[in-house]
Amino acid sequence: MAPMLKQAFRRKPVELMAAETGVDGHGGGQLARTIGLFPLTMIGVGATIGTGIFFILSEAVPVAGPAVVWSFVIAGVVAGLTALCYAELASAVPVSGSSYSYAYATLGEVVAMGVAACLLLEYGVSGAAVAVGWSQYLNQLLGNLFGIQIPDALSQSPEGGGLINLPAVVLIALCALLLIRGASESATVNAIMVVIKLAVLVMFVVIGITGWNSDNLADFAPFGVAGVTGAAGIIFFAFVGLDAVSTAGEEVKNPRRTMPIAIMLALLIVTSVYVAVALVAVGAQQQARFEGQEAGLAAILEDVVGASWPGTVLAAGAIVSIFSVTLVVIYGQTRILFAIGRDGMLPKFFQQVNARTRTPVNNTIVVALAVALLAGFLPINFLAEMTSIGTLVAFLVVSIGVIILRRTAPDLPRGFRVPGYPVTPILSVLGCLWIINSLRPITIAVFAIWVAVVLVWYFTYGIRNSRLRTGHRDAS
Amino acid sequence: MTVLVGLPRDERAAAAVHLGLMLARSLDEDLLFCTVVPPPWPPGMARVDAEYQEYLDSSAQETIEEARRLVPGDRSAAFVVARARSTSAGLLEVAREHGARLLVLGSSTAGVLGRVAFGSVADRLLHSSPLPVVLGPRGFRCRPDATVRRVTAAFGATDGADELVVAVAGVAARAKAALRVASFAVRPRTPLTAGIGSRAEDAVVREWTADVERSQRAVLEQVEKLPRQPSAIEAAVGHGSDWAAAIEDIGWDDGDLLAVGSSTAGPLEHVFIGSRSSRIVRHSPVPVVVVPRGALRALADRAEQG
Repeated sequence: MAPMLKQAFRRKPVELMAAETGVDGHGGGQLARTIGLFPLTMIGVGATIGTGIFFILSEAVPVAGPAVVWSFVIAGVVAGLTALCYAELASAVPVSGSSYSYAYATLGEVVAMGVAACLLLEYGVSGAAVAVGWSQYLNQLLGNLFGIQIPDALSQSPEGGGLINLPAVVLIALCALLLIRGASESATVNAIMVVIKLAVLVMFVVIGITGWNSDNLADFAPFGVAGVTGAAGIIFFAFVGLDAVSTAGEEVKNPRRTMPIAIMLALLIVTSVYVAVALVAVGAQQQARFEGQEAGLAAILEDVVGASWPGTVLAAGAIVSIFSVTLVVIYGQTRILFAIGRDGMLPKFFQQVNARTRTPVNNTIVVALAVALLAGFLPINFLAEMTSIGTLVAFLVVSIGVIILRRTAPDLPRGFRVPGYPVTPILSVLGCLWIINSLRPITIAVFAIWVAVVLVWYFTYGIRNSRLRTGHRDAS
Repeated sequence: MTVLVGLPRDERAAAAVHLGLMLARSLDEDLLFCTVVPPPWPPGMARVDAEYQEYLDSSAQETIEEARRLVPGDRSAAFVVARARSTSAGLLEVAREHGARLLVLGSSTAGVLGRVAFGSVADRLLHSSPLPVVLGPRGFRCRPDATVRRVTAAFGATDGADELVVAVAGVAARAKAALRVASFAVRPRTPLTAGIGSRAEDAVVREWTADVERSQRAVLEQVEKLPRQPSAIEAAVGHGSDWAAAIEDIGWDDGDLLAVGSSTAGPLEHVFIGSRSSRIVRHSPVPVVVVPRGALRALADRAEQG
């Protein structure tokens, strides 16, 4: 057993990672450090906002009541702590990648596979959740503009009384087609999307505040602290994406200084917007009405103004920006699978690249099918919780990893060090555990089963086929 | 057998003339220079047209004289002014009458110096010509005795790609030139908001490169079996974050020619430039020849028979 354990904890040499990025000495090597503070902050804001805020209040307010505002603050603080730990781990590996590759280089193969399980879940399920949220706004827009609604049978999950959420499935199919053709989001598109998202959310706050009624806040925390943390677990999903800042490290100017400031700035902007939106929403609408409300923000605005136009504008903005979020999430998922495949932990099928389109077509189709199944048949609150747990556990591992690395490799050059070590990573770990603890048992059980499946796969297939074992195969 | 050079009516024709000369010398073909003027309005219509016609005729004549001056004494060349409603139709008509095998054009003056740019005529011909079209970069010049020294076949591992390489190998062998098979790995930027780092696309590009290098080796094995061989054979993969950089990456010299195939979406017997080929053509620093699929087959058969 001992040799097997030794194998399971083998690390991927950083030299190998660096060698893999250069293509036969072409184009790899050092990336130019061109990203300054402002664009980096925009990357963080762009990757974060839009995943959850548009539809998460309908799920979170019934759990926490108006105190949901505090749930946002809690989730934001924990997300900030974990992002800092993540930045240190990312900076200890000179080559940029995902948390899977950072864990592989620093904590060992089996940990990397555990993190991969979390990531696959996080990306797959958040892609599905976002697509379901998109379908709500699509229905709202269709209703406002043309007076038609997609029937419940075709726009609700079975739990919500329908057959299948067809718009969400169509959206995912569309994204998959674009990805197969080789589309990718440019920095310009991201900037435009950030502006659209912030603009509609600011519009929501400005118009929604006119409907402020302090009576709505009377029963501020009907379910006490448990409700607030429970909602934080659901809401944490809306903070997924903040780690994108850390993964850009290789291209950041003066990362030691820029990175923590950008993470904090992005977090501050995102949390402020979220808290403002949440505050306006609970002030404008009675708690009881949140439950089961679709396209919540648009509905609240329409009630406040008594006309449909603000809801239409907000729905249109949400549809455009959520579309781009879905595209990027599915893209990320396919490339993570691709990386795992190239490391030998998945069959060759997952790393075939189509000669003409130059994209991993098989991989994209598999991912799209899986995400479409989730989006078509599962309710949004479950999807949001599953995303949260995947992200939280990945961050938990990363935070523990920072502590382990400081002990096992104290001299490793790190571009960025967590301020307030060891308190910060310990707080980060505790925060993650606290929020995980508040999630529903079913979420935790499904998550545990999923990770177990991935690890069984690893011990039966991955460990024997890992390229660290079979040697470095390259067709050059 | 003839190389037909289409001369622009109202701009400097030197680039097209130089290119035509180089090709004719390399392939040992005759030269035919042609400029097209629109026909007069039917008689009985306004006679004011006559003055304009005269102007057109004299400027066409000037163009022809200019070309004549550039042709060295040792090459036989014919000159013709064709009358046709459209320049592209006129050129194709002349090509058919004289049995031309290649159609040579300069670049539009709207393009970047040293890059290929299609004007409206080239654009029409790139979607309709039954014979291969050669486009020179804007401002192309070569020494009077220059010949084609190397032909690069743009190779994507798709249908018909092998045929282009074999056809080009045959032409290179006839021109006593080298053959280079080149593929271009354009690496898009990874969207940083995906949270998977800046290098996710590198792995995909590496995998694609490994595949394409295998295909390149396979097609070069086919070339090595041909009865007449190019003077040298090489393969290259250009990497870059966009087409321009990837094409620049493999390095270019004087005497280089780049060949691209027609899109499989188009008709068999005509040139039909697809989006990918069109990108390659626009970023080429050397003259480009675009070959219709029908002509490819004939050229490839010829190469295989020696």
